[in-house]
Amino acid sequence: MTKPIVSVKDFSLTIGDKEIVKELNFEILPGEVFAFLGSNGSGKTSTIRSLLGIYQPTTGTLHVNGKNLSPETASNVGYLPEERGLYTRSKVLDTMIYFGELKGMTREAARDFSTAFLERVELSDKANTKIKKLSGGQQQKIQLGVAIMGNPKLLILDEPTKGLDPVNRKLLLDIVDELQQQGTAVIYITHLMEEVERLAHRLLILKDGVARAYGTVAEVKKEFKSKSIEDIFVQIYKEKSHVLSAEVKNV
Amino acid sequence: MIAIPLLIGIVFALTFIGNQSSASRIEELSKDLKNVAIVDNSGLINKDVVTANKLSISPADQTETLREQVQNGKKDSLIVFPADLKTGGTYQVYLSSNDLTKTSTVSALADNILRTSLYLPLGSAEIIALAQNGASATITIYEDGKESAGINGYIAPGLFIILFYIIFAFSISYMLTSISEEKENRSMEMVLTYVKPRTLIIGKLLAVSLVSLTQVAFFTILAIVALLIMQQTGNALALPFGIDLAKIVLDPVTIFFGLAFLVVGFLMYAGFMTATAAAAPSTKEANSFSSVFFIGAFIPFYFVVMIATDPNNPITNFITYFPLTSPVVNLIRNTVDNLGLVGSIVSLAVMTGFMLLSLWIAIRAFKLGALEFNQTIKLSKLFKK
Repeated sequence: MTKPIVSVKDFSLTIGDKEIVKELNFEILPGEVFAFLGSNGSGKTSTIRSLLGIYQPTTGTLHVNGKNLSPETASNVGYLPEERGLYTRSKVLDTMIYFGELKGMTREAARDFSTAFLERVELSDKANTKIKKLSGGQQQKIQLGVAIMGNPKLLILDEPTKGLDPVNRKLLLDIVDELQQQGTAVIYITHLMEEVERLAHRLLILKDGVARAYGTVAEVKKEFKSKSIEDIFVQIYKEKSHVLSAEVKNV
Repeated sequence: MIAIPLLIGIVFALTFIGNQSSASRIEELSKDLKNVAIVDNSGLINKDVVTANKLSISPADQTETLREQVQNGKKDSLIVFPADLKTGGTYQVYLSSNDLTKTSTVSALADNILRTSLYLPLGSAEIIALAQNGASATITIYEDGKESAGINGYIAPGLFIILFYIIFAFSISYMLTSISEEKENRSMEMVLTYVKPRTLIIGKLLAVSLVSLTQVAFFTILAIVALLIMQQTGNALALPFGIDLAKIVLDPVTIFFGLAFLVVGFLMYAGFMTATAAAAPSTKEANSFSSVFFIGAFIPFYFVVMIATDPNNPITNFITYFPLTSPVVNLIRNTVDNLGLVGSIVSLAVMTGFMLLSLWIAIRAFKLGALEFNQTIKLSKLFKK
């Protein structure tokens, strides 16, 4: 039996007086694309931050390769956060090397990787350009490059295709495909269900911090008796409005 | 890193060269002024002084004609010393054009003629120079029956006040801008994935400390080089209040406390700036909150006389221990030596306590607020478990 790369057990998170995540359980296997879905404020980003060791869980465990992750041990994890950005006054290559070194790479290795990546995404002529002079899409490619530096075992992508044109979106998805084929596990957060249908092996739909659907894509479709993930997502999120309207009627 | 101090040095040098060049140009022009008429109704102007300037005194009844000639551009200028100059203290200068250099030159000429005429009856050039420039006093102060260094004892510890403001202006606010910019451009979350908040803050503090050290070293070397050049060129400094650079006292105790107050004060302010940047959601809001610290650093100057002369005043005591004012107040009191050894130790201990508190608040605020992009972290939240 393959050992999971990510194992989350009975995870709950309370920040201040607010219970963000409740009793969450899931596993991710190596080489698997795991779609982590939910509307804004459902607890996805908080779960990821807890997985990375930025937030401490209130209860439960979040293990990567059998251990709690902390900034010191996160070098084999690539993360493209939703709230992302780069040092706009720095040059492209300098920025990539800086993040590579933060991830524990040597300067030479970070430079070699960055040069190869910039060539791959057709930005090698921008290596010495300041980030602020790049377009939004070009900056997004650099951010992806930073996330996949050092061939991570686990890659977390939070809405990676947001703001990308179709050509660059395809390029990004191809890179994700390649990494996944090399054995990298990918946590893929998106609101675009066609990307889930195309990439995901398994998925979890989070609503108000609670897992409402979890399993392989086929399992979830079977459970909800639906042919589309989008329909399942809408169905789960409509539940609340049904409950609310019932409550209103009772009042 | 040293670009700003270097720029200041260049600006000072350019200002000095510019002023020297303007002064010599005015002097040159003043020698060339021939078409200037002078009317003296006061009786204070010495004819020989006017003649020495290759000019002459015109009769009083020609005043109106000469003024019209200036108005029509036939004469460059007219200087009229009125009969009531002694009591009124003003004289008139008429000029044919709106040339700033000419205005300065003719005014300087008129002033020079008047002053020289007034001083001339004093006799020798030495007496005139003494009357014009005054004399400097050599002050001897006795303390406990022994001769004390007086103001020369204040110079070395006083330099730490200047160094504190240099560091405050160039380095401490860097902590604020660096963190708030990382928050605003959203690179913070990517950084925090691989670096612990505590490590990040300590790293930034170390970097800022090294930058500050470099700036301090730069200014010190600049000052030493300037002094050496002055000594080599024989340009002795005429310093006021009896300051004599050769008699500066280097007391290890006051220098130690000056350095300690500087370092602890720097770290305390850096901690407060970090906390502010981490707690505020944007650079704009962080800057507006940080104005409190700027006020705290500069407010002691409104009380400087009281701090120096009335150490037992309750206000002096309050601002000695109040965190935001304590670095500068203690540096001033260390300079004028009214803190005493025990007072210095107590102050340093209190400031160290506040410094540790500010760094704790900084790390706490950073943990809570570094990834909070939409709202300000409340003070009460910082102290909650």
